[in-house]
Amino acid sequence: MNPLLAKNQDIPRALLVLEDGTSFEGHCAGAAGETFGELVFNTSLSGYQEIVSDPSYAGQIVMFTYPQIGNYGTCAADMQAGSCALAGVVVHDMCRTPNNWQSERSLPELLEEQGVVAIEGVDTRALTLHVREAGCLRAAISTEDLDPAHLLARVKASPSISEHNYVADVSASTRFEAASTAPADASRPTHGVVALDCGEKRGILDGLTAAGLDVTIVPWDTTAEEILALAPEGVFLSNGPGDPRELPEPSETATALIGRVPLFGICLGHQMLSKALGATLEKLPYGHHGGNQPVMNLLSGMVEVTAQNHNYGLDFSTLGPLVPELSGGHATHSADLRFWSERRIAPVVETERFGRVRLTHVNLNDGTPEGIQLLDAPAFSVQYHPEASPGPHDAAYLFEAFRRLIEGAPDYLDIDVREGRRF
Amino acid sequence: MPKRTDIHKILVIGSGPIVIGQACEFDYSGTQACESLKNLGYEVVLVNSNPATIMTDPGVADRTYVEPITPEFVTKVIERERPDALLPNMGGQTGLNCAIDLDEAGVLERYGVEVIGCNVDSIRVGEDRKLFANAMHEIGLEICRSGFAYSVADAEHIVASLGFPVIIRPSFTLGGAGGGIAYDMDELRHIVAQGLDLSQNGEVLVEESIQGWKEIEMEVMRDAAGNGIVICSIENFDPMGVHTGDSITVAPAQTLSDVELQRLRDYSLAILEKVGVATGGSNVQFAVNPDDGRVIVVEMNPRVSRSSALASKATGFPIAKVAAQLACGLTLDEITNDITRATPACFEPSIDYCVVKVPRFAFEKFKGTSDVLSTRMKAVGEVMAIGSTFEESFNKAMRSLEIGENMLGADDPSLFDEDHFRERVSVPTPERIFYVVEALRRNWKIDEIHELTGIDEWYLSRLADLVAIERWLSDRRLSALNAAEMLAVKQAGFSDEQIAHFVQATEGEVRAVRRALGVTPRIKTVDTCGGEFPARTAYHYKTYETGPSERRETDKPRAMILSAGPNRIGQGIEFDYCCVHAAYALHDKGYETVMVNCNPETVSTDYDTSDRLYFEPLTFEDVLDIVDVEAPEGVICSLGGQTPINLADRLLKAGVPIMGTQPEAIDLAEDRDRFSSLLDELGIAYPTSDVAETYEDALRVARRVGFPLLVRPSYVLGGRGMAIVYDPDHLKSYMEEATRVSKDHPVYLDAFLDSAVELDVDALADGDECYVGSVLEQIEEAGIHSGDSACCMPPYSLAAPMVAEIRETTHKLALAVGVVGALNVQYAVSNGRLYVIELNPRASRTVPFSSKSTGVSLAHMAARIMAGEKIRDLGLPPEDRTFDYFAVKEAVLPFDRFPGSNMTLGPEMKSTGEVMGIAKTFPAAYAKTQLAIAYGLPTEPSDGKVFVSVRDRDKRAVVPLARDLASMGFGLVATIGTAKAIRAAGIECESARRTSEMRPNIGTMVSAGDICLVINIPGGYDTRDDFYKLRALAVRYRVTNATTLSCAQAMVEAIRTARESDIGVVALQDL
Repeated sequence: MNPLLAKNQDIPRALLVLEDGTSFEGHCAGAAGETFGELVFNTSLSGYQEIVSDPSYAGQIVMFTYPQIGNYGTCAADMQAGSCALAGVVVHDMCRTPNNWQSERSLPELLEEQGVVAIEGVDTRALTLHVREAGCLRAAISTEDLDPAHLLARVKASPSISEHNYVADVSASTRFEAASTAPADASRPTHGVVALDCGEKRGILDGLTAAGLDVTIVPWDTTAEEILALAPEGVFLSNGPGDPRELPEPSETATALIGRVPLFGICLGHQMLSKALGATLEKLPYGHHGGNQPVMNLLSGMVEVTAQNHNYGLDFSTLGPLVPELSGGHATHSADLRFWSERRIAPVVETERFGRVRLTHVNLNDGTPEGIQLLDAPAFSVQYHPEASPGPHDAAYLFEAFRRLIEGAPDYLDIDVREGRRF
Repeated sequence: MPKRTDIHKILVIGSGPIVIGQACEFDYSGTQACESLKNLGYEVVLVNSNPATIMTDPGVADRTYVEPITPEFVTKVIERERPDALLPNMGGQTGLNCAIDLDEAGVLERYGVEVIGCNVDSIRVGEDRKLFANAMHEIGLEICRSGFAYSVADAEHIVASLGFPVIIRPSFTLGGAGGGIAYDMDELRHIVAQGLDLSQNGEVLVEESIQGWKEIEMEVMRDAAGNGIVICSIENFDPMGVHTGDSITVAPAQTLSDVELQRLRDYSLAILEKVGVATGGSNVQFAVNPDDGRVIVVEMNPRVSRSSALASKATGFPIAKVAAQLACGLTLDEITNDITRATPACFEPSIDYCVVKVPRFAFEKFKGTSDVLSTRMKAVGEVMAIGSTFEESFNKAMRSLEIGENMLGADDPSLFDEDHFRERVSVPTPERIFYVVEALRRNWKIDEIHELTGIDEWYLSRLADLVAIERWLSDRRLSALNAAEMLAVKQAGFSDEQIAHFVQATEGEVRAVRRALGVTPRIKTVDTCGGEFPARTAYHYKTYETGPSERRETDKPRAMILSAGPNRIGQGIEFDYCCVHAAYALHDKGYETVMVNCNPETVSTDYDTSDRLYFEPLTFEDVLDIVDVEAPEGVICSLGGQTPINLADRLLKAGVPIMGTQPEAIDLAEDRDRFSSLLDELGIAYPTSDVAETYEDALRVARRVGFPLLVRPSYVLGGRGMAIVYDPDHLKSYMEEATRVSKDHPVYLDAFLDSAVELDVDALADGDECYVGSVLEQIEEAGIHSGDSACCMPPYSLAAPMVAEIRETTHKLALAVGVVGALNVQYAVSNGRLYVIELNPRASRTVPFSSKSTGVSLAHMAARIMAGEKIRDLGLPPEDRTFDYFAVKEAVLPFDRFPGSNMTLGPEMKSTGEVMGIAKTFPAAYAKTQLAIAYGLPTEPSDGKVFVSVRDRDKRAVVPLARDLASMGFGLVATIGTAKAIRAAGIECESARRTSEMRPNIGTMVSAGDICLVINIPGGYDTRDDFYKLRALAVRYRVTNATTLSCAQAMVEAIRTARESDIGVVALQDL
């Protein structure tokens, strides 16, 4: 809403301050109050509701680079979780008069109801360029403390995202059988899988269900033995918030599961599997948050336009030394993994404990790893979000790949991207 | 996959002349394609009949054929050049149709030419509605309920099951030509008949109306590996029912949820695959029911399009350039994103601004036709604006239009037709947007306006926000605004001029106060990625924000070039061509060039044409804001037509250095009194003239000078508002209207030189010396706007001493006026005497044609002169050199789009584009132009008979023509009087009744297809009606027609040449 109209409607003023002292004034665009978190930007043009309800954003303030947000309102069907876990929202212009046949309420109304503090009127492009250079910074939005110096001091005193276990906040507290409305092919038998819930999005549950998998959700700290006691045909490691380096339990669980049951991980789940394999995780300068990241499937050579939301990633070289005979003869790791995509080679490393691991997916924008598969155990994972929600459906085939893995298909990952876009 | 090495030489087909529905966006895409193919190391052969294009510059392709885009001529090019491959999807529908024709004629097979990019079958599926309908059905997508009709009776039968209204779409036409919406049987019969006629295969689709649904376009690309990406979604502000080319459109789509959008993405990529687009860009259009989200596939174009040009400009993703690379076997992941130069092209652009496109119309030029918008495109141009919000972009776009409605109707209650206000809100016309905004001002409810218009409530709510700001401003005084308030108003896109209106101040005062408050625009960058990666390309827009600007400082001197804004009749691609050349020339001279323009169809708004691009309105405020930021050494105002020329004086007064011709010289040339005195001083003749402000004044002048008179307002563009008046009644109605067209300027009345020969001269001057680049002889007689007249270089009928006198006079005038740069002088020669009609102290519409026909790039040279070089140092060939070929330019007229409009040519320009023909003889060159316009040039008596109707004083002159035609075996038909004259000379001739007389008459013969050529030269008023009717029929049935004697003579000579010898093709590089 234009600031002049916001002022005339007595919408409270709001202030955004970053830990480096950068500040922007604006108006309240959600709940009034105050919030602290790590500021990240998301470049999706649409799908704001799926983003604000994505549990992976717990502890983070999400800034939308598209300037007019809220245009088509919100509806219960698009929620990715029961509530909004993110710390706050920054937009340039918040729409209070949305229109769409599915809209039930406006985005600011949803945020207010969910207690999410939001600010509008910010030069989001300038701030995005700043974050791009400065990296992820702590920030605060307040409608109460409008003194930049004072709020800055409090931002500096606020905890970093690594100091809190957000996964525990957003995970299911008890085990339950998930119910999804996603349509599945009834002519195929279903397989029972357990999803270790670190903050699973509803879109993932829908993706698993559509692939004919019956999902039992278990809390994030469920042990491997507890999971195996449920006799699942496969285990899914979910996405989730926070700093994966500070989260030992799920990776310990993964360690204990490798080789005993087929595994599939997405995002945080991919990081947990990587940790379990002995790899180091690193923090990216400003992460990947958006719906347009190009990823090549090194097995098919096809490019997927993917939805992503992560600040941390696997350092591929730390998994182990390359196996030259399975890596096109190359024996030296390359920091920029586009080395492999340009050659259409899916390199393989030898891990200390779990045998050979193949790099299956690479981000073509920056050469970071996007997916791995174990060659000596049934497990694979991707850093990005095949369920999209929001974003393009190119990678939806990965849920089918999980099914194929469970069924023992050796080439389970070699599926045409176009399969994922079938309607 | 790396690029293909089994092909070496690629033929690219352009789109031919600018017509409605196919404009300079195809120059933009074709130029990009040619350059990118060359960069890949391929040899590029180009065929395009349109000289006013960058792509036909000799440096763009390796071999450039400015030849008709017909199967015959393209075959000749293929025979000569033997290309390995044909890239057909850069030249619009013309290119695709030509490829199909070549394929069907077996030419491609015979010469082993492979079609790359899209194959002929996919073109057919995309264009043939029946095949398309089947294909969609097979992949489970819904299309409109419909049926194909091959006759009017078929259509009536289909409607019986669908009910009215129905949409009628002919197969294989461009820009939806011949389509329309029928609400009743009469309309159905009329539109279907016309559509069957225009369809290449005599087929029209009659489909259920989905008017009022959201119209969404997806710009999609695909590579040979099967990777697919969506470049941009575009939402139409005007819902289904208005052609997307006539709609206000917005990118990205605003009112669809991610679920809805991703569904359209899945559909789009599947459609490309199903249709069989091997590689490249396509456009897929959907209708989305606003009440339940139901999706219907409307159509797909397996080629680059107007929308893909818009999407390229809107996102910074160069669709045509990438499409050309994909056609050569590269895949999207192998191509680097030009803007970031670090990431691949295999991604989907994210934008962090809102883009609004608004079409520009020219209904004022076509009186008598309905201005109601429908599925048949009528816009002649468009503007695009970039801002942080829809509101800001919308306001910027509206002021970019240059239609004098910068207040959106707030300042002019007389704009609104109170008696039909409600109807004007509901019926889509170019003015509807002003009625919608006004209705909001009048407190109409958003629901009610939505009910009437189908415009989505989201857009209406945004417009309501603008009206709320208007109201707020109206209660304020300028001095009361604080910085935050001023910023907020600017963020909504209000111009200083708009603010000035509401707070009752002047634009200058608002600017001063605004700057004193520290409210200045920020410079942002179009970077394809929403800021995620650093941009290496300086593609900018202005917006009002609180963060820092993104401009990069360098130590090079900067030169700013103001281009021409939206295409309109009288100011089109030709001026953009000149600005592009200036950018190239000044860059080569070491300047950092700064381009300003708001037309997304152009080459000038390609981010790599200039060093910096500002996609901004060409208003005083916007230009000055950019000057403030860029601090150029000079601003070039004389290459972009009347738009920048009109700004020159104000910019100079604001302290902006103007490069080249100074505003003082512009005024000297444009102020008729000052110019007349100058001509008197120099002893140069000009037609007697005077000024008048009222009818009484004008009548006094008429008595002194005598009828007929050429009358026009003082500041003119494309002859807008000009007419030849023959009597006091006519003069009276003209004067009443002229005062409406241009309130502050008087009307000029010139003695009209009947039967004179008119000439156009393009020249350069540097203050000390003048160089005449070309002397163009017009083929139509005086009185027809030079933009609508065919012309020939070198002059084909004038004696050398007269041409020398013309050069001499031009030298004298250019130096006396003080032109530094380009100029254009129009002359008339009557009874052996030379008259100056007018001098334009700027580059003219004919500069591209002159440059191409003489081989001297006048715009390029003009830019160098403006940057301080002298003519003597430019190494120009002698101006009196002789040419061993003739180059003819012919105008292309859009009458078939404006049924009911007056179709006579006169001093008011009506053409949209032009074609060029080059040959050893004048008739052969002229023949090529006729063929290039797709009017067939009859060559065999079996093509039909020739109809002749001339006024009395031409009856003697027409006899030799008739004899020529008869000797070639053509049967002749003439009106009674003309027939008598022809028979008197011993030539056999039938007579036929006039169209106004009892049937059967000549009209019946034309519609029956019996006539292959109409020579129809109007006489006095009593026969004018007949003339119009016949001309309209000829246009409708696409029968070649000549409306002046000289034109008829050229036509007959052309027919003879075409019969006697095979007209060959010639590459510009060989001239």
